[in-house]
Amino acid sequence: MKKLLSIVLALILCLSAAGWAAADDMNEEANLVFYVMGDAPKDEAAVEDAINAILKEKFNATIDFQFSTWTDFNLKYNNTLISAGADLIYVANWENYGLNANNGAFLEMDGLLDTYGAELKALCGEGMLNMCRVNGELYCIPNLWPEYVCLGIKYREDLRAKYELPYPDTLENIEAYLKGIQAADPSQGLLRPTNTESASSLSIGFDTAYLLAAKYPWVAPFGMPYGLTANYDTPSEVYDYWFSDDFVTDCKMFKSWADQGFWSKSALSDTNDNEAYDNGLAVAEVAGMNPNKQISSANSFAKDHPEWESAYIAYGENTGVIYPGHATQNGTAILRSSKYPERCMMVLNYIMTDETMNRLVQCGIEGKHYELDENGFYVNLDEAFPYEGFNTWNLRVNEFKLKQPTDVALQAMFDKYAALGEKTKWPNVNIWDGFTEDYTEYSAERAAVGNVLRQYLAPLQAGLVSDVDAAVEEFRAKVTEAGLEACREGFKEQWADYCAEYNYQ
Amino acid sequence: MKIRDRSGRGFDIIKGILLTILSLLCVLPFIVIVSGSFTSNQEIIRNGFSLLPRGFTAEAYGTIFKTPEDILQAYKMNFYYTFIGTALGLIIITLTAYVISRKEFKYRNKVSFLIYFTTIFGGGMIPWYLMYANVLNLRGTTLAIWFPALITPFLVILMRTFIVGAVPDAVVESAKIDGAGHWRIFWRIVLPVLGPGLATVGLFQALGYWNDWYRSSMFSTSSKTWSLQFYLYDLVNSTQAMRQMAQYADINTADLPTQSVKLAMSVVATGPILILYPFVQRYFVSGITVGAVKG
Amino acid sequence: MNVAAIGKGNPACRQSVTRHRNIYIAAAASALLLLMLLPMVHWIFLNETEALFDVMKLKASAVKKLSGSYSVFTFLSFVQDSKQGVLGLWSFILLMIAAASAAFHLWGLGLFFLRKKAAGGKGMLPMYSRIQSGMLFSLLLSAGTLGLILFANNHYGMAGFRAGAPVYASAAVSVIGYLASKRMEKDERTLRREHGFLEEVRRNWILFLFLVPCFVFFLINNYLPMAGIYFAFTQFNFRDSLFASPFVGFKNFEFLLHSEILHLTTNTILYNLVFIVVGNVLQIFFAILISQVANKYLKKTSQTMIFMPYFVSYVILRVLVFNVFEYDVGLFNNFMTSIGSPKVDFYNTPSYWPWIITVFYLWKNIGYGMVVYLATITGISSDYYEAAQIDGANIWQQIRYITVPLLKPTFIILLLYALGGIMKGQFELFYQLVGNNGTLFSTTDIFDTYVYRITTTQPLSMGLGTAAGLFQSLFGFIVIILTNFLIKRKNPEYALF
Repeated sequence: MKKLLSIVLALILCLSAAGWAAADDMNEEANLVFYVMGDAPKDEAAVEDAINAILKEKFNATIDFQFSTWTDFNLKYNNTLISAGADLIYVANWENYGLNANNGAFLEMDGLLDTYGAELKALCGEGMLNMCRVNGELYCIPNLWPEYVCLGIKYREDLRAKYELPYPDTLENIEAYLKGIQAADPSQGLLRPTNTESASSLSIGFDTAYLLAAKYPWVAPFGMPYGLTANYDTPSEVYDYWFSDDFVTDCKMFKSWADQGFWSKSALSDTNDNEAYDNGLAVAEVAGMNPNKQISSANSFAKDHPEWESAYIAYGENTGVIYPGHATQNGTAILRSSKYPERCMMVLNYIMTDETMNRLVQCGIEGKHYELDENGFYVNLDEAFPYEGFNTWNLRVNEFKLKQPTDVALQAMFDKYAALGEKTKWPNVNIWDGFTEDYTEYSAERAAVGNVLRQYLAPLQAGLVSDVDAAVEEFRAKVTEAGLEACREGFKEQWADYCAEYNYQ
Repeated sequence: MKIRDRSGRGFDIIKGILLTILSLLCVLPFIVIVSGSFTSNQEIIRNGFSLLPRGFTAEAYGTIFKTPEDILQAYKMNFYYTFIGTALGLIIITLTAYVISRKEFKYRNKVSFLIYFTTIFGGGMIPWYLMYANVLNLRGTTLAIWFPALITPFLVILMRTFIVGAVPDAVVESAKIDGAGHWRIFWRIVLPVLGPGLATVGLFQALGYWNDWYRSSMFSTSSKTWSLQFYLYDLVNSTQAMRQMAQYADINTADLPTQSVKLAMSVVATGPILILYPFVQRYFVSGITVGAVKG
Repeated sequence: MNVAAIGKGNPACRQSVTRHRNIYIAAAASALLLLMLLPMVHWIFLNETEALFDVMKLKASAVKKLSGSYSVFTFLSFVQDSKQGVLGLWSFILLMIAAASAAFHLWGLGLFFLRKKAAGGKGMLPMYSRIQSGMLFSLLLSAGTLGLILFANNHYGMAGFRAGAPVYASAAVSVIGYLASKRMEKDERTLRREHGFLEEVRRNWILFLFLVPCFVFFLINNYLPMAGIYFAFTQFNFRDSLFASPFVGFKNFEFLLHSEILHLTTNTILYNLVFIVVGNVLQIFFAILISQVANKYLKKTSQTMIFMPYFVSYVILRVLVFNVFEYDVGLFNNFMTSIGSPKVDFYNTPSYWPWIITVFYLWKNIGYGMVVYLATITGISSDYYEAAQIDGANIWQQIRYITVPLLKPTFIILLLYALGGIMKGQFELFYQLVGNNGTLFSTTDIFDTYVYRITTTQPLSMGLGTAAGLFQSLFGFIVIILTNFLIKRKNPEYALF
C-alpha cells in the first residue's frame, strides 16, 4: 500500500509540474474558463454563444463562464485556485484577494497590460491600478464603477415621523429612536442583531459592533483586528481599543440596550436572515447595511407595505469618515496556471473597453433580454438573463453601465457621500481595504484569538453578561493568554509598512 | 417474524401505547413542516410555526415549481444517481462482503482492515477533489457525482454481518463438498436468503444517494447535472450568501427563498423516498424466515 | 509445535538445522538494518555545499543551521531549515518507509525472541512475514533514498547530494535477509501445510475477482488521495504548488496546544459515548418492540413514522429548535408564562444543552439505526422461538435468551464502527443547533466545531485542517486497534478485522 502511495505521489508531482505551460500560440483556439460567483443565468448558453462569435473572430478565443453557486462558495473558489480550474477569475477583497495574490495564485499583470491592454490601462488610470497592487505587483484589474458601500443604519422613517422621534444618526439618537418606538408600541420588535459570520475580520464578535462606526472616526469601520485601531486622519498612529476605558463604556452601553430589551436574550443563536426588517419585525438594521440594501428594502416596502418607509443614514455622516468602496472590491485576475495569459488579457481588455461587448456580457442580447425605455433606462425583457446575469460585478464600467430606474436614488446617495468624502483628510480614499495582512508567522496565536472573540467578546457586545467589568477582565485575560501580543506585533509592523508605502501618515 | 405472546392483552396495549407515543413525537415536527409549507411566509415570520396551516396557501410550491422543467430535470437526475448508485453499489458491496465473510479466504482480515482503514484516515477534501477534477478530469460529468459514493465501508461491514448471520458455515461447506464453486454459492445460496440484508443496505445506499448534494456542488459545471437536493439546497444557501456578502456586493435579492419555501422544499425532496420506504419495509416486517438452516 | 520436539534422524530434523541457521541470519539482518536506521547513521551527504546553497538561494543565517550529512530522519529538518519544500514530499515518504521498516523489524525481532507461535497452527509464519516486510521496506528505503538524490540533483542541476555507504549496505543486507527468511518460510509452510499468496490466488481466484471493483474504488477514492496527509506538515502557497510548498514540521499542530484541547477532547468523546450507548439501547428496544407488536398496521406505520425525523435537515431543525427555545416568544417559554412559571433562558445557559443536543440526536437517528436491528431480528430463524416455546419459555425469556444474544454481533460491529470515529463529532448537529453562540461553548464545543471556526478564520489553512483531521484519525485509530484487539481475544468472530 505504501509502495503504491509513493509511486502515485510521484505521478501527481509530475502532473502538477506539467500544468505549467509554454507561451500562447494564437493559432490555437483558446477556450478560456472565466470563474465567477453565484448561480448561472438560464440563458447562459445563448449569451455565451453571442459573445464567443465575436471573440472567436477577433482573438481566436472563446469564453466559458463557470459559476461557484452560493453553496460552499468560499471552498469551491479555493478549490478552483488550487486545481487550476480557470483562466480568468473574479477576485474581491472579501474573497481574500490580497492573501491569494500574495501566495502566488494570480499572474503578475503589468507586462501583459502594457502589451495587450493599453486601452484598459488608460481607462483604469494609475491610481486605481495602484490600489490593486500587492507588494508592488499588479494582480487584478478593478471594476470601473465607483460605488459607496459605507456602513449605516436602515430604519423606519414612517415610525420615526409618527412618534416624533429624532433621526437615528448618533448612538444617543439611535437609542432614543428605539426607546421611543418601544414606549409607543411595546409589542413591536426592535432589532434583530445576530452573531456575525464574518469571523475572518478578527475585530468583532457580534453585529452590534457595527454601531461603533457611528461613534468613532476610525480608519476601519469597527476597528482593526486584535482590538487595535487608528483614526482615519492619522492611520499610522495605532492605539489600543480593547484595553481602553472606551471599550468598557461601549460594553456597558450594549448591556443597557440589551437590558432594555432592544434585542432578544437569545440573539447569540438567532437565525434571522434579513427578513425581519422587510416584514416589520424589526424597526432598524444596524449591521452590514449599505446604500444598495436600503434601495432593495425600499423596493420591498413599496411592493408589500406601501405605507411603510425605509430610510438610511450612513454612520460616516456623523463621524465625518466616509469613503468609496476599494478598487479590489470587484476585480478580475488571471490565474498563474493559465495556458493563455495573453489571450486572457486581450479578451479582458476588449470586454472592458468596448461598449457593445460590455453590455452584451452584463445585460445579454439587446431586444431579447433587455431594451432601453424612452428615458434610456434598462428594462428587462426576459428573466432568463437578468441584469448583470453573469454576476460579473468585476466587469462594470461606469461609461457603459446601463442605468436602472432605482439607480437614480442610489446615485443621489452616492453623490451625497462623495461630497462628504471630499472633506476628509484623504478625500475619497479607502485606506483600510487595501491592506493585506500576512499572518503566517503567528497563525496559531491568531486562531486562538479568533476563538476567544467568539467565546468572550460576542456575549459582551451582545450585552448578555451579568457583570460587564468582570466579563471585560475575563475577556482581556483570555485574549492575552491566547497570544494577543504576538498578533499585535506582527500586525503593527505590517500596517506601518503599508502606511509608509502609500504615505498614509 | 412474530413471537407468540403469552402475556395477555394488557401487555399488548402497553406496547401499542409506547410505540404510538414515539411515533407521534417523531412525526410531529414533520407535520409542522408540512403545514408551514402551506402557510404564507408573512404568517410564519410574524407568528411562528403551528401544527395546522393558518390561511392555507400553496404559494411556496408555486415558487418552487415556477420553472418546472428545472426541478423536473433535478428529479430526473436524482432518480438516475440513486438508481445507478444503489444498483451498482449494492452488487459491489455484496460481493465484497461475501469475500470477507468467507473463513477460508486467507486475507479476509487484511481486506477488512483496508476497507475499514479508509473510514479513519483520509487525505482531506482537497486531494480527493483533485483526484477527480484534475487526475481523472471528471469535472462536469455525471460519473463524478455518483462514483465517489459507490461503496460505503460501513455498509460492507454491515453486509458481512448479515451474510454471517444468514448463511451458516455448515451450509457453505456442504455445498462445497457437493462441488459448488464460489460463484454458484454466492448466487444460489447466499443471495436468496439475504433479503433483509439487501433491503437494509439497499435502503441506506439509496438514502445516501437521494440525500446527496455535496458532490453535485463540487463537480457540476452546469445545472443540468444537479441533484434534487442540491437544487433545493442551493436556493436556501443563496440567502445565507447574501448575509455573508452583505457589506460588499449588491446582489439582486428579488427571488430569495422564504421560510415557507424552505419548508416546501424539504417536503418536495423527502416525498419520493418516503414512498419508497414502505416498499422496502416489507422485508423487515413480513417475517421472511431464513430457511437455510434447515437446508 | 516446538522444533526440538521433532525426533532426530527424521529428514525434518536436517531441515531444522538449516532453518535454524537461516532464522539467525534473518534476525541478524533485521537487527543490523535497525541499527542503520539510527539517527547517527548518515545516509545522505551534501557535495559542494557552497555552490549548492547558492543554487538554493539560502541566506547565511539559514546556512548556519545546516550540516554536511543527514540520516533518513534528520533530512526533513534539512528540508525545513533550508526551505526546500520541493524535497519535502519525497523525504516525508522516505520517513514513512523508514518508520514502517523499523516497525516490522522490531515486530519480527520481538516474535523471534519470544518465539511466540501463532494460534491456528501457523507456527513461526507470522514472524517470517514481518521480517520479510521489514526487509522489503528497507530495500525500498535504499531505493527511495537513491531516487531522492537523483531527483534533487536533477532539480538543482548539480551533483549536490550523494548517497552514503549505509544506503548500499542496507540494500545488500535486506536482500540477504529477505532471501534467508523466504527460504525458511517455504520450509515452514510445507511443514504447516500453509500456502502463500500465489497459491491463494490460484485457489480462490474468483474471490479475488469479486474484490476487483472494491479495490479500484478504494484506490481512487481513498488511498491515492491519502497523499494529502502530507499537507498537514506544509504551509501551502500557490507559487510552489501543492507538493512543493514549504515543509514546516509540526507547526500546523501548534494550534492544538493553544486550544483547550483536553476540554474539547472530553466533550467530543462524552457526547459520542452517550450517542453510541443510549442510541443503540433505544434502537434495540424499539426494534424488539416493533417486532413484538401484533397489529400489522401499527407495526408498519409506526416504523415509517419513527424513520421520518431522519429526513428533517439540520438547517430546518435549527429553525424549529430556535422557535421552541427562544426566550421572548419561543413556544416553551410561552407555555411557561401561561402556567405562571418563570421563563427559562436556554440560549444563555450552557447546562441545558447536552440534554437538548442528545435528545435531538436520538430523535433523528433512532429510526435509521433501528432498521439494522429490525432486519437482524427478521433474519432470526423462527425455529429458535418455536423450540423455546415448546420448552415453556415466556416472552421475556425468549427475548432475553434468543433475540438479544443474536443481536450481539450486529451491536458489536456497530459499536466498533462508531468507536473509530470517537473523536469525530456530529458537526452539523452541533453547528446548526448552537451556531456561533460562544456562551454555550463550555458544554457544546466539540473538536469539529472548534476546527471549523479556526479554519474559517484562516483562509488557505489547508495544513491546519489536515493536521486537525490527522489528530482525530490517530486518536480513533488507537482506540479502534485496542478495542478490536480486546474483542478478538475474547471472540474472534466479533472482531472487525
